[in-house]
Amino acid sequence: MGTGKRLVHYALDYKKLLITGLVLLGFAVGADLMGPMIAKKIIDDHIAGAVGGGIDFEPIAKLLAVFFGLAVVTAILRYFQYLLLQNAANRIVQKMRNDLYEHIQTLPIRYFDNLPAGKVVARITNDTEAIRNLYVTVVSQFAISGMYITGIFIALFYLDPKMGAITLFVLPILYIWMKMYRKFASKVNHIIRGKVSDMNAMINESINGMTIIQAFRREKQMEEEFRELNDEHYHYQNKLLKVEAATSHNLVDIIRSMTFVFFIWYFGGASLATESVISVGMLYAFVDYITRLFNPVTGIVNQFARLEHSLVAAERVFKLLDREGEPVSDDKIARYRGNVRFENVWFAYKEEEYVLKDLSFEAKQGETVALVGHTGSGKSSIMNLLFRFYDASKGAITIDGMNINDMPRQTVRDHMGIVLQDPYLFSGTVESNVSLGDARITREKVQQSLDAVGGERVLKHLPGGIDEPVVEKGSTLSSGQRQLISFARALAFDPAILILDEATSNIDTETEEIIQHAMDVLKKGRTTFIIAHRLSTIKNADRILVLDRGEIVESGSHDELLALGGQYAQMYKLQAGTSSQPKIG
Amino acid sequence: MFSVLFKLKWFFKENRKRYTVALILLMITNVLVVIPPWLIGEAIDSIYMQTLTTKLLAVLLGSMLLIMAVNYACNFVWQYQLFGGAYVIERQLRGRLMRHFLKMTPTFYEKNKTGDLMARSTNDLRAISETAGFGIMTLIDSTLYLLTLVLTMGFLVSWKLTLVAILPLPILAFIMQVLGKKIHERYMTAQQVFGDLNDNVLEAVAGVRVVRAYVQERATENEFAKMTEDVFQKNMHVEKIDALFMPISKVLTGLTYMIGLGYGAYLVSIGDMTLGNLVTFNVYLGMIVWPMFAIGELINVMQRGNASLDRVTETLDYEEDVKDPEQPVTMELPENVGFRDVFFTYPMSHSVNLDAIKLHLDRGDTLGIVGKTGSGKTTFVKQLLREYPVGEGEIVFSGVPLQSMTKDQVRDWIGYVPQDHVLFSRSVKENILFGRPDASDADIAETIRLSYFEKDLEMLPDGLDTLVGEKGVALSGGQKQRISIARALVKNPEILILDDSLSAVDAKTEAKIIENIQAERSGKTTIITTHRLSAIQHANWIIVLDDGRVIEEGTHEGLLGMNGWYKEQFDRQQIGEVE
Repeated sequence: MGTGKRLVHYALDYKKLLITGLVLLGFAVGADLMGPMIAKKIIDDHIAGAVGGGIDFEPIAKLLAVFFGLAVVTAILRYFQYLLLQNAANRIVQKMRNDLYEHIQTLPIRYFDNLPAGKVVARITNDTEAIRNLYVTVVSQFAISGMYITGIFIALFYLDPKMGAITLFVLPILYIWMKMYRKFASKVNHIIRGKVSDMNAMINESINGMTIIQAFRREKQMEEEFRELNDEHYHYQNKLLKVEAATSHNLVDIIRSMTFVFFIWYFGGASLATESVISVGMLYAFVDYITRLFNPVTGIVNQFARLEHSLVAAERVFKLLDREGEPVSDDKIARYRGNVRFENVWFAYKEEEYVLKDLSFEAKQGETVALVGHTGSGKSSIMNLLFRFYDASKGAITIDGMNINDMPRQTVRDHMGIVLQDPYLFSGTVESNVSLGDARITREKVQQSLDAVGGERVLKHLPGGIDEPVVEKGSTLSSGQRQLISFARALAFDPAILILDEATSNIDTETEEIIQHAMDVLKKGRTTFIIAHRLSTIKNADRILVLDRGEIVESGSHDELLALGGQYAQMYKLQAGTSSQPKIG
Repeated sequence: MFSVLFKLKWFFKENRKRYTVALILLMITNVLVVIPPWLIGEAIDSIYMQTLTTKLLAVLLGSMLLIMAVNYACNFVWQYQLFGGAYVIERQLRGRLMRHFLKMTPTFYEKNKTGDLMARSTNDLRAISETAGFGIMTLIDSTLYLLTLVLTMGFLVSWKLTLVAILPLPILAFIMQVLGKKIHERYMTAQQVFGDLNDNVLEAVAGVRVVRAYVQERATENEFAKMTEDVFQKNMHVEKIDALFMPISKVLTGLTYMIGLGYGAYLVSIGDMTLGNLVTFNVYLGMIVWPMFAIGELINVMQRGNASLDRVTETLDYEEDVKDPEQPVTMELPENVGFRDVFFTYPMSHSVNLDAIKLHLDRGDTLGIVGKTGSGKTTFVKQLLREYPVGEGEIVFSGVPLQSMTKDQVRDWIGYVPQDHVLFSRSVKENILFGRPDASDADIAETIRLSYFEKDLEMLPDGLDTLVGEKGVALSGGQKQRISIARALVKNPEILILDDSLSAVDAKTEAKIIENIQAERSGKTTIITTHRLSAIQHANWIIVLDDGRVIEEGTHEGLLGMNGWYKEQFDRQQIGEVE
């Protein structure tokens, strides 16, 4: 389906509102366009005939009352029509937003890993806002203008078919102009918008990276680059302005004047040629209608740039909606015990570039398995597979013997908990970050969980306690505090399987102790996988898997691995500094 | 209200020619546009009175066409000149703001939030630009044009009719003004709610792993639906007032036409004016609505422009916190760096951030700085970058105080790798070239080797040309840090500062990089702050900071012998991390 068709399709959900609005609009336009007819009647029947002599004011007063009454009726109809159309447009966009949001919940994590968050957000908010503009102003402006233009032509033809036909010359001119204008202006407009966003991005980036710019004395370079952008923007602005000044209102003025020239020529010529008397009322009505004809024309032209912008936005939105997703499942299963098995698992993010190769291991209920290895050895991929953020290319992962690919993703995750290396906090409160707003997690539960992980020692400094506000990303909290909150979160959800991605460094010693304690609390009775960075955590693990380029090269307990004298032993020694410490300098 | 025009006097002076041309032509067209309706009235009268001759018709048509052509030309020129002026000031102020930002030091950025500065360089600029273009037009339209129309209607048609008929129009202009204000308030609320919605989505997307891991999809969907409903309500709240605009103006202009027709009919009947006059008059009535509205527009534009100009000027008037000396001392290269009882307090801070620091570094030395988070490590190294006004005591390079040299000269010696990796939205190569724009490809390849980024580079889709930063590929913290190191190394600086710059790479990689740096930089000064003691064991001198004071200092061995914080930390890290 084309973008336009789909936009109509969306609108059909609110067709009652839209149709009522358009019907009201139709009546309003009709009432409004009756005005000049009444004026014609007043002039012809009651003034023109009576010049010189006294005129009868009673019928004039009556007609004037009708004239004003029509204006009031138009006003009332337009008020409700406007609200109805606005209501419909806003509802359509609200629905579209909700649909989009629900849709992105069904998209695989891969989608988010490959796209900056800002871009995803722009689809859901900014692009839909542009579509709202489309329905609200563009569409209603087009409807209003279309009805007025039609109505005026009907009136002109009714008054004098020949002059009405002459007036039709404006239509092809308008059409050609629209075509040309759209072709040129939308292109330039697009460039200008691009330049503006480039400039703003550059200002923003420069402000954030000012220390670096200044430390490396790149001020001149940045200034120069910015000046270029600014100049280009200016250049295109002027280019567009030239077109606007040559067309737009100015062109409308010309067309209007031309119409009046035809008007004088036609009626003047007619009065010269024949002795037929043309009524002044008719001339008046003609002048009035011709003047009115051009407001809707300008109205349409002014919407072009917006229309273009909105259509592009709509295209992007529909493209996102078309992305194949996997519906969110609400199935629940009873809490599994947590016996995890990887059976000959292969995995690649990109075609055939395997980051996990033929991996097999097992973690029994309540066991702790530590994953050790260098960056890129595949530790994080194991976590991604277990959570079904990604699916294994070959092989199977089972929990209590059930293949996780046979269960909906949400069901698998329902009894899992995660603590990320960089714990993500949402704006809200400490409490809402632990419970994530889930109704099953009571306030008491939140408090208990925080206490259990030793939170009070870190959080006691917060004046608001568990109601302390948390700003975006929790940036006012220390990394230790953030970590503890995410531990409490995992504990509150009481998962059967837990994955901990340790923070690499940057935590001072006191906090590290507290976190160590929290981890011990958390691990109890759960199958735990730790992506480990610290020896202290690893030592206590039931099993250590040493990964190298996607393969398990060693496996066993700390002591076993030390005795083995392989990679693990070497790493341990390097850290402990007992041998082969790189002597530098 | 009009003070903004006086504040922009310098601009109008600079562009005197442009504005003179624009205003004169604008005024000419304003007079010209009143002629065609009058001609139409004349035509109608002569048709009605049967006095029309071929000659008169030709004159009428000829005048119409002539005015049309002149008008078109004038319109084109004044629009191009006047609105072009708006673009000139926009470009000028934008460039000035950017140049100003590039001069400002962190104190300025602490006082002004990024969002606020962005608002000034976008919305406020737009408002000022509007003042210089659209604002000037409304100024003319609502005064001279309005006057022209009223005078024409009065003299050409009838003063009595004019005064009575336009009576409702000022009321209309006033109501619109009031409604406009109300709409603005409600619109701001609606924008606020929309902003909240935006933030909410951003968080949900950025934290998508947490949302999914805890199966909170439905919960976030519900929350989102609530917010979209709120956005809907607030938008409708705006529209309820917006909906009034058209109907009110319809009723009041209807009233005007009614008066015009009724009273006009009477005047025609007593022979005070002709029927053609009545038609002309009605056309003028249609034309006078805009200048009435323009009064309201003018007030809005001028008010907005004034407030915006004040904000932008305030930003531009902010004086540099750290100025260069008037007669700077020039120096090729410093032989040593000394800290003599240096005290330092951040401008926004209540406590002392560096407390009596004494230190001496010779060329080629490596200094290690350790200490808890917040102990003053970064504050210490930033002293050398001169981002803040100097505190008490003296920092000297070969005996010359820091503040008697230009910032440029000092910064030229330094290669700085910050704690928070800042990369720009350009290619990897361009980011590295940021350190030294004239570096050769071989230099770049070498620094990439030194910063242990070769393997990572192979993984990047376009190698060195891969776009990074906001718009580019997502890099890990460790990768960003290593590009950041390469950027500093390519400069081959006299003094290299690594400010906890390896926190996100694993111990082994860190060891390799430190080893490379050591080997490459013999004879040059290196300052390293870190949490991992292994990174500074080789340093000639190590200081331990706590609350801005040096609590321990010495060589690695010496510090171990002291049995203090350093030793304690060292022991703990023995069972530290693996990876």
